[in-house]
Amino acid sequence: MNPTTSMYVAQGLHGLAYGMILFLIASGLNVIFGMMGVLNLAHASFFMLSAYLGYQVVALTGNFWLALLLAPLGSALVGVAMERFLLRRVHAFGHMGELILTVGVGSIVLAAVKSIWGTESLQLKMPAILSGRVTIAGLDYPVYRLFIIGLALLILAVMTLLLYRTRLGKIVRAAVSDAGMVNALGINIPLVFMLVFGVGVWMAGIAGVAIAPILTVFPGLADQVGMDAFIVVVTGGFGSLAGAFIVSLIFGLLSSYGVQFMSELAPVLIVAFMAIVLAIRPHGLLGARDS
Amino acid sequence: MSILETKGLAHDFGGLQVLCGVDLRVEQGERHAIIGPNGAGKTTLFNIITGTYRPSAGKVYFKGRDVTGLAPHALSRLGIGRSFQITSTFGRLTAFQNIRLAVLARRGIRFNALRSIDAMDDVTKETDAVLARINLGAERDRAASALSYGKHRALEISLALASDQELVLLDEFAAGMSRDETHDAVELIRRLTEGRTVVLIEHDMDAVFSLADRITVLHRGEILATGTPAEIRANEAVKEAYLGEMEF
Amino acid sequence: MSATQRRLACVVTAFALAAIPPLFGPYYTNLFLTFAIFSVFSVSLNLLLGYTGLFSFGHAMFFGTGAYATALALKHVSGLPLLAAVGIGVAAAALLALVLCPIVVRVSGTAFAMLHLAFSQMMYVLALKLHNITGGEDGIGNFPIPALTIPGVGSVPMKDEPANFYYFAIALLALSLWLMWFFTRTPLGQVQLAIRENARRTDYLGFRVAQTKAVIYVFAAANAGVAGSLYGLFHDLVSADGALGALVSFAPIINIMIGGIGTFLGPVLGTAIFELIEELASRYTEHVELVIGLLLVVVIMYAPMGVLGVARMLRQKWRRDAPAAGALQKTS
Repeated sequence: MNPTTSMYVAQGLHGLAYGMILFLIASGLNVIFGMMGVLNLAHASFFMLSAYLGYQVVALTGNFWLALLLAPLGSALVGVAMERFLLRRVHAFGHMGELILTVGVGSIVLAAVKSIWGTESLQLKMPAILSGRVTIAGLDYPVYRLFIIGLALLILAVMTLLLYRTRLGKIVRAAVSDAGMVNALGINIPLVFMLVFGVGVWMAGIAGVAIAPILTVFPGLADQVGMDAFIVVVTGGFGSLAGAFIVSLIFGLLSSYGVQFMSELAPVLIVAFMAIVLAIRPHGLLGARDS
Repeated sequence: MSILETKGLAHDFGGLQVLCGVDLRVEQGERHAIIGPNGAGKTTLFNIITGTYRPSAGKVYFKGRDVTGLAPHALSRLGIGRSFQITSTFGRLTAFQNIRLAVLARRGIRFNALRSIDAMDDVTKETDAVLARINLGAERDRAASALSYGKHRALEISLALASDQELVLLDEFAAGMSRDETHDAVELIRRLTEGRTVVLIEHDMDAVFSLADRITVLHRGEILATGTPAEIRANEAVKEAYLGEMEF
Repeated sequence: MSATQRRLACVVTAFALAAIPPLFGPYYTNLFLTFAIFSVFSVSLNLLLGYTGLFSFGHAMFFGTGAYATALALKHVSGLPLLAAVGIGVAAAALLALVLCPIVVRVSGTAFAMLHLAFSQMMYVLALKLHNITGGEDGIGNFPIPALTIPGVGSVPMKDEPANFYYFAIALLALSLWLMWFFTRTPLGQVQLAIRENARRTDYLGFRVAQTKAVIYVFAAANAGVAGSLYGLFHDLVSADGALGALVSFAPIINIMIGGIGTFLGPVLGTAIFELIEELASRYTEHVELVIGLLLVVVIMYAPMGVLGVARMLRQKWRRDAPAAGALQKTS
């Protein structure tokens, strides 16, 4: 295959993969915000924490799959603990309170990560079967990117099924649109919230382990990817998963091809895109008027 | 020319017809009550007049001018003020500050950033005068949300009335009030609305009959009768419509 | 506080401020000046946050614009007077706010907060990437710092004269602070509070909510520009991290929360406390983030009204009647 085409394809896949990662993180943020009205600025920190936990599991056992299984769960546990013991208490002070609290928790996580694992970049090796390239229909694809895309789509498919085909899913959807009513129906809303929160953080955790082999594990992960994810949520519109999906993919491709063709100005492209969208629709591409 | 007129006003909520051919007429300077059994469409009518809904059909005229579909704040600037059924004041501000805002609005002081407000003696005096008139002088420095329910409602109504608006719409001002509180509120409204036109929706019949110059009765989305309190009292059709729901 | 007491307090404060350079030497003078700059910056944010109920997580935008505008002006326009340079910084910040107004007055609540975070981040990235203009990561440094020329009196050199610059900066910061304070005592200041409490009702009363928000927004931005401009001059360096980073947007929020969101001087107190804690933390421990994180969590969970808020609550417990609960200025 033509090396140039190969490169374009590789870049495109990388972009899509990064976009899917962003979406996994952003969707958690979106759902948490959409349902609970909670602004969780520590979300990216849990994403990072999971990457570190994943690194540790691989360091101890050499097994990537085990890391993929355990690390997100560990991170989700911490996230749920934060929700249960801290976040709930500051609801009364509105979004300001939630923001301050989650920024504080994010700082603590960062400090913890630095003191346990140091500030150097750590390498999380991807499993052998996923490294390398595969040839389909005459084109070369890096396997790991395909894996990320596949994994993300799988999780999304499972989530959609759960949401729309199970009783629990129905409850969650109802709670998103009217928590008070669902509560009045006798359903344990705090428990539902905790569950959704946990799943949101878990998804970010999966993203953390998945992207770790590519981005490496370092303390700046939260800031770097987290800011991108937030911009995705803001641009796509709060509470709109479809908006987040579209914007995630656009961002992923922009950042990937942007780095290729405009290297210096790639981040500018992203923020320019965001600025244009927000100037026309201040609530985001598909955002609802009142959050 | 009536100050407020609706012509052929109709409204439906996705197939559910709530109002049907309502031709309301309110004369300048009168106190006009809109009553009717539950579900008669009073709130919908009110919401249309105050700009919250755009009617499915028909028109609203204020002083001869077509104001159908104008947004609430636009109507407010044209001279239509309203109070809210669910008390809507400036919760953490004191009673004094609440009324002062209405006074400032009335005086057109909207963008002044050049004078210290505490130096505006005439504003302070007027605010204190209003507070005295509504018997909230003692609670001057109390936060609005810390007031008792009745006093809080009184504050709410005063906010609607302290401005210069010619037409004031009161949405169930007596909601949740005790008999005494209602009586005080009626006195308050009477005092503060001299020379102005008032339209009120109300369930409390005592309040209605002591305040209103004329009454319009709504039933199932249509006007059943309009007339003086005495005429309405004697109206058989009205009695039947209410049949046991309310006491006359 | 009565008017006489207040005037007395002002005079005493003025003397105290003037006495700092001779009494405490350059190191502490500079420390104090940093505190003063960030105090004014935090108070300007509080005009939006505490007084009008507009949560901005991107106030660094205006700080940074002031800093960069002043630095760029001084770098490219030779012979530019000092005050004019500061004026340009302030004007640039105000202009940015004006440009954003149409978007900004249409949203409130979380959308407003996030929008600002996003725009601020955008400016940060632009500052980093457009390094032909902004010097990229290195920023703009070593630009000329002209002497202050007072017509008829003479000129006061500023570069390498920490005491002179201190007096100049403090004078401007004090003016800015006073203007903001006065603003809250005007009728417009009352409308500001009304918008925070009940924007709909404010609208119905006949006030123009969008235009009022715009005025407050531009005013707060201009004051943030003053702080930013002086910050740039103070360090003779303006960089993206120092003037536009996320921390620059979050720090004033933290200062406001610690000091007390509903009060005018709360942010000033909060800035002092937070800087003190930061200073101590970086001296005695490596884990500065841990300390800051814990501080934030503890403050928001147990003292969300901030130090002054707690003080007010205690004061009210000792008094008989309970005036306005929560975040409020007394009327007399």
